Amino acid sequence: MSEPVLVAPGSDAYPVGLHDLEDAPPIWVLGELGPAPGVAVVGTRRCTRYGLDLAQAFGAAISRAGWSTVSGLARGVDTAAHRGCLRLSGHAVAVLGSGVDYCYPRENKVLYDRIVASGGAIVSEYPPGTPPDRWRFPARNRLIAAMSAAVVVVEAAVTGGALITARLGAEIGRPVFAVPGDVDREMSEGCNRLIRDGAHPVLGSADLIEELSLVIGPPARVTGTDHGIPSEGVAVSELPGLWSLTVTETLVKLGRLELEGKVRRLGDFVVPA
Amino acid sequence: MYAATTSVALVGGDVRGVEVQVHVGRQSEQFKLSGLPDTAVREAKDRVRAAVASSGIKFPNRTVTVNLAPAHLPKTGTDFDLAIAIGVLAASREIPHPGRVVMVGELALDGSVRRGSSSIGAAVLSARSGVSCVVARSAAAEVAAVPGSSVHGVSSLAEAVALLREGIDQRTPADAKRAEEPEAFGDLVEVRGQPLARRALEVAAAGGHHVLLHGPPGGGKTMLARRLPGILPPLGDDEAVEVALVHAAAGLNRGLSRSRPFRSPHHTASRAGLVGGGSGVAVPGEVSLAHRGVLFVDEMAEFPRSNLDTLRQPLEDGRVTVARRGVTATFPSSFHLVGATNPCPCGYLGDRRKPCECRPAVVSRYRQRVSGPLLDRFDLVVKVDRLEASAVSGPDPDSTSTVRDRVTAAHGRLVEDAPVLSGEAEKLLATALDSSLLTGRGVYRVRRVAASICALADDGAVTEEHVAEAIGLRGEW
Repeated sequence: MSEPVLVAPGSDAYPVGLHDLEDAPPIWVLGELGPAPGVAVVGTRRCTRYGLDLAQAFGAAISRAGWSTVSGLARGVDTAAHRGCLRLSGHAVAVLGSGVDYCYPRENKVLYDRIVASGGAIVSEYPPGTPPDRWRFPARNRLIAAMSAAVVVVEAAVTGGALITARLGAEIGRPVFAVPGDVDREMSEGCNRLIRDGAHPVLGSADLIEELSLVIGPPARVTGTDHGIPSEGVAVSELPGLWSLTVTETLVKLGRLELEGKVRRLGDFVVPA
Repeated sequence: MYAATTSVALVGGDVRGVEVQVHVGRQSEQFKLSGLPDTAVREAKDRVRAAVASSGIKFPNRTVTVNLAPAHLPKTGTDFDLAIAIGVLAASREIPHPGRVVMVGELALDGSVRRGSSSIGAAVLSARSGVSCVVARSAAAEVAAVPGSSVHGVSSLAEAVALLREGIDQRTPADAKRAEEPEAFGDLVEVRGQPLARRALEVAAAGGHHVLLHGPPGGGKTMLARRLPGILPPLGDDEAVEVALVHAAAGLNRGLSRSRPFRSPHHTASRAGLVGGGSGVAVPGEVSLAHRGVLFVDEMAEFPRSNLDTLRQPLEDGRVTVARRGVTATFPSSFHLVGATNPCPCGYLGDRRKPCECRPAVVSRYRQRVSGPLLDRFDLVVKVDRLEASAVSGPDPDSTSTVRDRVTAAHGRLVEDAPVLSGEAEKLLATALDSSLLTGRGVYRVRRVAASICALADDGAVTEEHVAEAIGLRGEW
């Protein structure tokens, strides 16, 4: 594996967006930052399946558009966004609150390795060896916001890092997108408030890409599927509805698609292969 | 003076004749009992003495020695009372020797005969050896349904004595109670939505596959599992007897019911409770009480792993050997296993609306509580999601009786000749193996499930379509 390198403000490799920060810090980078514009996908660690599905779909859609997905490698939304991005072999950037050699949370080590191996980057303003401390995370969030051309909040409570990222993003002029949710759900409240305060409501991954292309420019890549299974996957139990088939017909079609290698299972989910 | 009568002991889901040997000697009054009796059997001495006196018959005031042969077999319960009393009276020449008649029943102090759990055993022995049997009147009609048995019911010792004096062959045996229609718990029509789970249940019922249902609380896993016995064909004559004998060995009376057993042990059940145990005499566990029926293991991951793994032998062999100090007994244990589990300890992993509170490490630990070899036994793994309100409306799904008819027909076809795979289907499976979509064991399972699907559809040979559906049904937890 490559060694972490220190990138100073003003150098060619330094992400342009970070100059928008008043205190633009030098950053440690493990892997490749890449030329593609980044989109931050952030949200709560305690997300619902709904949030996970969306984050994964957004990660996938953003990489399909040829952009880079920026997030924080935390549990929940962050993890799902990175996963969705990597599934389509997209460019993933994870900004950590610890040293770039310190994977936190530990269970994301596989994801961490995959990000580096797939040509993505692990970024931190703290020197290698720095342990994750609670107080470093809000500071890390300003890097996520500044490195990205836009911030997408998937699910968030009113307290929490995702809203900090959105606020910091808005302060330096980044457009903020938020997924509207039920008004009585704790994990929708943060997003709903962002929308009330002027964030763009996101109506789905296609809508997100459309809105983002107004900010970033047209997507570089577009692909589609013929079996109608979206890149974020669907639960097996939803397939009869999706395909308008009986249960038996659905199971037969699913089995065939699996045999043809067009879809695969992830637990109870079916995703395009 | 000596006489011998016959009674019955239930051993390992089967019956054994017990010879009750009675000797009346010349010494002073004494009552001895041998042949490994437990406390309940030993107390027969007091019950028999009082019952004989209450019936107005003289109890010999000499040395009475009773041996229950085979003497090395531990005896339990109160069902030997009647045979002991008749033996004593025959040995003291109060009544003529009864000849070969199987007798089972507990005596009350007033001389009345109460039903014992081995009554069914008496009827089975009667059918097997072609002799008559005498049981409590309250049990007679029920156990007379054992095919080939000749059962006489008595309500008191005096009545039994009168019957034997007159000659048992002079009387007509009790009529068998008509078998009741099997009763099922709830109808499948009550299960709304869940089309996939319903289909999986039907395929499982047709081919005898074990099913794992997983999903958040409130999805209807228990509701579905409870309806599996109902969609299986009712028990046949021999099966009903098998099941009744195992239940009787546990002291449970289910008569000759044709409904399939449904057992649902709690996760705090001990290993002995699950696979069988008992001290002195072997008692069947849940795996045997579920014989020919359904064993529903709810909250599977909450069971201690070592207890769950004890299910593997009965699953593999269809019977289980219980070895206790002094006794070893083998009980049948051929059952449908239905497992149910939450996706994670809090139950909401994967839920669309409620966040999961579990850390990933906790989730993977939770799954490891069910061992791989046991998970391998489940041919069908289905997610049961909580229902969206919209799914509850809509047309009525198939009812239990409709599904049972299809399953019964499929059973017949599978028994007659197991469907073979068409060339295309074989090719499809080979592709699946080559592309490592399926493992070798996976292919074996898909093959079995495809055969069941084929039998349900009444197609001659297993087609590509059946194999594809079987692959579609193969989920993972």
